[in-house]
Amino acid sequence: MFRLQTENINIGYGEHLIVKDLTVEIPDKKITTIIGSNGCGKSTLLKAITRIIAHESGTVILDGEDISKQDTKKLAKKMAILPQTPESTNGLTVGELVSYGRFPYQSGFGRLKKRDYEMIEWALEVTGTIEYRFRPVDALSGGQRQRVWIAMALAQETEIIFLDEPTTYLDMAHQLEVLELLQKLNEEQERTIVMVLHDLNQAARFADYIIALKDGQIVQSGNCESVITHNVLKEVFHIDAEIGEDPRTGKPMCITYNLMKEEKQQ
Amino acid sequence: MIHPTLIKKQRIVLCLLAVLIILTVMISMGIGDAALSYDRILPTLFGAGSFKESFILFSIRLPRIIITVLAGMALALSGAILQGLTRNDLADPGIIGINSGAGVAVAIFFLFYPVQSGTFVYLLPVVAFIGAFLTALLIYIFSYEKKQPLNPTRMIIIGVGFSLALSGIMIVLISSQERAKVSFIAKWLAGNIWGTDWPFILAILPWLLIFIPYALYKANRLNILALNEPVAIGVGVAVKKERLLLLFTAVALAASAVSVTGGIAFVGLMAPHIAKSLVGPRNQLFIPVAILLGGWLLLIADTIGRNLVSPDGIPAGIVVALIGAPYFMYLLLRK
Repeated sequence: MFRLQTENINIGYGEHLIVKDLTVEIPDKKITTIIGSNGCGKSTLLKAITRIIAHESGTVILDGEDISKQDTKKLAKKMAILPQTPESTNGLTVGELVSYGRFPYQSGFGRLKKRDYEMIEWALEVTGTIEYRFRPVDALSGGQRQRVWIAMALAQETEIIFLDEPTTYLDMAHQLEVLELLQKLNEEQERTIVMVLHDLNQAARFADYIIALKDGQIVQSGNCESVITHNVLKEVFHIDAEIGEDPRTGKPMCITYNLMKEEKQQ
Repeated sequence: MIHPTLIKKQRIVLCLLAVLIILTVMISMGIGDAALSYDRILPTLFGAGSFKESFILFSIRLPRIIITVLAGMALALSGAILQGLTRNDLADPGIIGINSGAGVAVAIFFLFYPVQSGTFVYLLPVVAFIGAFLTALLIYIFSYEKKQPLNPTRMIIIGVGFSLALSGIMIVLISSQERAKVSFIAKWLAGNIWGTDWPFILAILPWLLIFIPYALYKANRLNILALNEPVAIGVGVAVKKERLLLLFTAVALAASAVSVTGGIAFVGLMAPHIAKSLVGPRNQLFIPVAILLGGWLLLIADTIGRNLVSPDGIPAGIVVALIGAPYFMYLLLRK
């Protein structure tokens, strides 16, 4: 069953189409990763699915209904997104920012209820940001800030979570921490995770389903064994990749790679 | 999740401002062309004054004081909302063409409508209101892009353009007219509180009674909108709808103020700005502070203005500008 899918979606700014006639299904309760080179439309696709940008034509369907016809506040209870984050947060504290994740559940003047506090607490806890609760977000390091924004998305208490490059700004250990947190949420609470990742090996290691995009169209999609292959990577990234097996996880991994030389000369 | 000390600080600031407003009101009641000594103010207020004292207080000073405070509040709230919507601390109702729009409407009305003293004064605020609203509507239509949410920067630039163009139109309009008429319009433009009668209070009060609670109700949305669009959409804020509603609120408030006070700039800029530097940028905290500050600022300006030069005084708008312009420079230089 697919709760979420796009049907013949075209996305673009004006004349220029970035994603063309794309039909994609997001498997339920799985981790899906979108990979592709810069400008291939992966972030654009994520933004269109989460209604952050409008699409030219086609439909995004969630639970059998076009999302553009659904109430945006109700949608925010079903799907959360870690978007491109603003540079400044005007001196908001970590706790306040995370509390904005409870917006879809609030009515009236926005007083937080017991359930809201519990979820905020939990989100701060699992992202390891609870100690900064009263600190201004602007005063944190890039990595800490990233985790605070993830906490905000988690506080939304949604079954589907979208993340646009959640590991940027993070060092190796913190990258793994975030990905393992997402994996845990997926395994223990059966949440659907959809993210854009740059690191192929992380994609292979954590994703149940990978979508490889090129020029706004799917080159290959499926499990990591079918996507992280020499041919697909050649097509998508123009690289000559050496694929091996991760000795610890048994997943395919790109050990080393070169640019495709012969194509350059043509 | 706001630090409790900040909330306490905001309460203290609010109380202080309330005291300052009451003090200024008392002072303002006692000074003016006609004498009303301070020890007679309270008895007169409670109905024990002579006919002359009651007339000065209830028909001249008190309506003017109340209208001034209310207009200042409306301008401050309008500015606070606009600054939040545009994510720009220099936004002000004047920037989106409210003052000049109302100005052109008033000029046209004044120059071409036969002045019959009965209905004229009561139609003037209505005309100013309509002018301000039409201008804001035009600015909105011109900044509208298909399928895109309203772009605040685009709106400001178009607003400034409209402001300048309308000012030009106004000069053309009044340059061909006789002096007596021009002098009223010139004073109107300078922000001379002229709607100083009880009916005008009734014209502006409902807007405040509706929109102050409404703005506080929307405070959380304003906070989220101040971050950025993707974040706001992601947590389920209907960005397009909210922007439109809040913009309407800001325009209605500013237009209702301008319609009884004439073109007053800077209050909408200064009051929210000072409020933010006092209690921080959270809308639910700084909006009440900004509202009180706005009322107080305009009352001080008008009290000074009307007593500085006899017999007509200096328009409050000019006194505010004398305070506001250096403040504006300071803001620009600091950045």
